[in-house]
Amino acid sequence: MRRIGVFICWCGTNIANTVNIEGVTEAAGKMPSVIYADNYKYMCSEIGQSMIKEAIIKEKLDRVVVAACSPRMHELTFFKTAAAAGLNPYLVEIANIREHCSWVHKDKQEATGKAIALIRTAVAKAARNKELWATQIPVECRALVIGGGIGGIQAALDIADAGFEVDLVERTPSIGGRMAQLDKTFPTLDCSACILTPKMVEVASHHNITLYTFSEVEKVDGFVGNFEATIRKKARSIDLEKCTGCGICWEKCPSRVKSEFDEALVMRKAVYVPFPQAVPNVPVIDRASCRRFTREKCGICRKACPAGAVNYDQEDEVLQKKYGAIVVATGFDILDLDDFGEFSYGKHPDVLTSLEFERLVNSSGPTGGRLLRPSDQSPPKNVVFIQCVGSRDKSRGKPYCSKICCMYSAKHAILLREKYPEAQAYVFYIDIRTAGKDFEEFHRRAVEEYGALYLKGSVGKVFPDGDKLLVKGVDSLSGHAVEIEADMVVLAAAIKAKSDAPQLARLLGISTDTHSFFTEAHPKLRPVEAHTAGIFLAGACQGPKDIPETVSQASGAAAKAIILLSKDNLLSNPCVSEVNESLCTGCLSCIKVCPYGAVAEKTIEEKIHGKALKRRVAEVNEALCQGCGSCTVSCRPGAVNLKGFTNEQIMAEVDAICL
Amino acid sequence: MKQLSEILKEVAFGSLSSGEAEMVIGWQKGPFWWQSFPAFITDPGGTGSLIWDPFSVSNLSKYLLKEVPEKKIALFLKGCDALGFNQMLRDGRVDREKVLLFGIPCDGLVDPARVEAAGLSKGLLQVKKEQEELIFYYKKGQRKAPARDFYYAKCLSCRYPNPVIYDQMLGEAVPCQPVERFADVSKLETTPLEERFSYWSRHFSRCIRCFACRNVCPACSCRECIFDLAEPRWLGKANELSETQFYHITRAYHVAGRCVDCGECARICPVGIPLAELNRKFIKDINELYGEYDAGADLDKEAPLLTFKTDDPDVSSGS
Ligand SMILES: Cc1cc2nc3c(=O)[nH]c(=O)nc-3n(C[C@H](O)[C@H](O)[C@H](O)COP(=O)(O)OP(=O)(O)OC[C@H]3O[C@@H](n4cnc5c(N)ncnc54)[C@H](O)[C@@H]3O)c2cc1C
Ligand code: SF4
Ligand code: SF4
Ligand code: SF4
Repeated sequence: MRRIGVFICWCGTNIANTVNIEGVTEAAGKMPSVIYADNYKYMCSEIGQSMIKEAIIKEKLDRVVVAACSPRMHELTFFKTAAAAGLNPYLVEIANIREHCSWVHKDKQEATGKAIALIRTAVAKAARNKELWATQIPVECRALVIGGGIGGIQAALDIADAGFEVDLVERTPSIGGRMAQLDKTFPTLDCSACILTPKMVEVASHHNITLYTFSEVEKVDGFVGNFEATIRKKARSIDLEKCTGCGICWEKCPSRVKSEFDEALVMRKAVYVPFPQAVPNVPVIDRASCRRFTREKCGICRKACPAGAVNYDQEDEVLQKKYGAIVVATGFDILDLDDFGEFSYGKHPDVLTSLEFERLVNSSGPTGGRLLRPSDQSPPKNVVFIQCVGSRDKSRGKPYCSKICCMYSAKHAILLREKYPEAQAYVFYIDIRTAGKDFEEFHRRAVEEYGALYLKGSVGKVFPDGDKLLVKGVDSLSGHAVEIEADMVVLAAAIKAKSDAPQLARLLGISTDTHSFFTEAHPKLRPVEAHTAGIFLAGACQGPKDIPETVSQASGAAAKAIILLSKDNLLSNPCVSEVNESLCTGCLSCIKVCPYGAVAEKTIEEKIHGKALKRRVAEVNEALCQGCGSCTVSCRPGAVNLKGFTNEQIMAEVDAICL
Repeated sequence: MKQLSEILKEVAFGSLSSGEAEMVIGWQKGPFWWQSFPAFITDPGGTGSLIWDPFSVSNLSKYLLKEVPEKKIALFLKGCDALGFNQMLRDGRVDREKVLLFGIPCDGLVDPARVEAAGLSKGLLQVKKEQEELIFYYKKGQRKAPARDFYYAKCLSCRYPNPVIYDQMLGEAVPCQPVERFADVSKLETTPLEERFSYWSRHFSRCIRCFACRNVCPACSCRECIFDLAEPRWLGKANELSETQFYHITRAYHVAGRCVDCGECARICPVGIPLAELNRKFIKDINELYGEYDAGADLDKEAPLLTFKTDDPDVSSGS
């Protein structure tokens, strides 16, 4: 006979208002094996916890059920309470009578009935709980940062400065991300490159950082403290060691393709560095457009290179490395504007996205920063900026606010006027959202000092009209239709998650929201952690963000990673699966369903009718098992069982609830 | 041409006397015309009693689970048996190295119930098949009738009359007649929910929980079935419909994705519960959800319920 104690919490009025506490306490006291039942206003308080401790000692309790809030809130609290009174923490069971009961019910009688059922269930399980012991697992003192935009750069630098090794993996040939494409940055208008490139150089020269550009993470196994990643370094076709960055190769290269970095406004060569300040300043050969690879002709760059750095036979390199923590900082994309035909994007060269505009005003961009119309290379006079293209638009775009467009549109209006004091900026907007330090002031400057004309309303259509663009819209404040003859139209396309974010999420075992942004573990209290332990989020991959926010989150993520890496050991979760070999038939279903690669096959030898028989069975690696339970449901004979959640325990719960 | 039953005896004798196999599992005639029992023969001299007749219906491969051979065990597989054998192979329950497989092409076997229904069973001593005809032998005289009229329903819709796995094939391959495989399931799917529920409740309420359906099933090859476990006890002993339903739903789920549709469960059931319909519903759903998959037919094809693909239809886009 067990000696179970039940402790019922009022949670102030949270539970007590909907559940009859006295009634529940009385009912609990009569449940099988329950020898003690009590209640208190705040079980998690010092007094509540002492109540539990005292009862454990006085009443010689061997199992404890706490009926309170979700185990996500206070399971650990009560585990510690029990441990302090000498009881193995895994003998404590939580009945969630708040989130699962009082918060979702109105009728007191029904809620009371349900609270009793939930406690009965927890009591039934607790009676079958066994002592479990956590073990120590060592932590690999190295971090992996995925994505080399400003978010990834900041996180890598912080972790490296704390004394830990960091590998920074960037998919494109250079780090820098979107910020490298920008001209000036709100709200201070300092030049993006001027503040970014020192950080990029610092990354390249930091003794604790290994940079893998033109590389991708292909596979991640393992778990917090012990991840193992497979990284593919794509063949650059240029020897990183030998290249001096002189640029002769791309001068001589005869193949031209659209430049991704310049948003396809100009051409680049097949051998190229994406932008002059690229880190590393070593070109790559884009094999898809290189004649040597597509037609087996050419070879000019190899002949031209004075350093002998061109190597057409270079192959992808695949590395496997171990990490204790991972920071994901893969950034964002902007929305495809195919569905917004009314703005003539793609049909008229002077209709641009805001990123294209950034390139046009940028001194390293296609026009050397002179901001000329792509159609005829003339300076624009009237420029119409349209905000919220695809943002706050459930039907064709994204329901959310992209957060940065109000600010960069104001920035663009200012930059326009700085280039051409005669020019006029018109900004169509739904609302102006400038919450942020110095943001509102910045916007006011655009209006008051730079004369930007803000029109609250929407644009119905943009018509190409000779060498002009006719913009027809409505000014909803005056109620008048407006028509503007524009030289250029700039569309603030919505920020969206990277299209391959769901794949990366799957690879890492983290989750995404409905818009494919990575989800944080808690929107308020754990904003830089992913749901999977040991993986942290930084920057726009988690939601639209400007640079200051990206950098703060990156430093936050770095701090979390540093806390983890500073530990020599982590306590393992003892709720892992184990295989009962006598029941295991060796079908290996469990191996196939385990998302963590924690189950393996092994051969055992048995004596049957005096004959030695070898047979295959499954074996769980406790260090890899995350206790998800997938294997247990795939196992037909019920041979694999999750400790702390055994079939027997769950059946007891089901019976207690149903019978 | 030599009779198949003669060839069968010869290869059985050969494999035992050469020492290649230590046991042959085949069929032997029982005391009644409709009985063809599994036979376990270790002495080459005993192979003369082996038969192949229109009642050799049992799948012999499941007996491999009981044996711990040092050398090989030889056995005979019909088309449907071979699918089951393959599934056991995939589930790691048999060792391919320890078996010698003789494939038997089979165009169908006789359902004794049909013989009875046709009023031919009275005083019947023996039934033989010659070409497309059955010959019924009585004390006085004999009668003939077209064989197909007496075949099991499952044989009439057979998709694999020729074994897909064997070491040696005995006899000529037989042609396969395509049939509409899921007609029964489609019909059930369109009947209203309550009707469907009462259809199955009616059937399950007759189940005597003899577990013959499980015992005969090549996909039910666990060392110890959860329904036999004392702790935890999954299935109550009480004779209640809910318990029986639980058994049947669990059974169907356990074989889902692995059921080779040999139809043995439905054939063996002493009270005639159409279990194959339930299995085929799963097969149809799996085919529709994850693309055609024929358990037991192709060992290299990935099992849909044990693989995760990012373009699986149940993976919601974006999350
Ligand atoms: C038009 C425009 C103007 C802007 N102006 C301003 C401004 O003035 N001020 C301001 O504060 N903010 C501005 N922003 C916002 C700013 O660009 C972002 O806040 C910032 O770039 C976010 O940084 P990040 O590191 O999160 O992402 P990104 O800059 O997108 O960097 C992500 C990096 O990860 C890499 N990557 C992606 N996937 C993978 C993968 N699977 N493996 C490896 N690497 C990968 C990418 O190649 C990229 O280098 C502007 C944005 C736009 C669109
Ligand atoms: S699923 Fe169960 S029976 Fe199959 S190998 Fe795993 S533990 Fe063994
Ligand atoms: S519970 Fe099973 S499936 Fe889940 S991680 Fe552990 S071994 Fe793998
Ligand atoms: S063979 Fe028929 S009666 Fe026996 S357990 Fe199966 S369904 Fe029930």
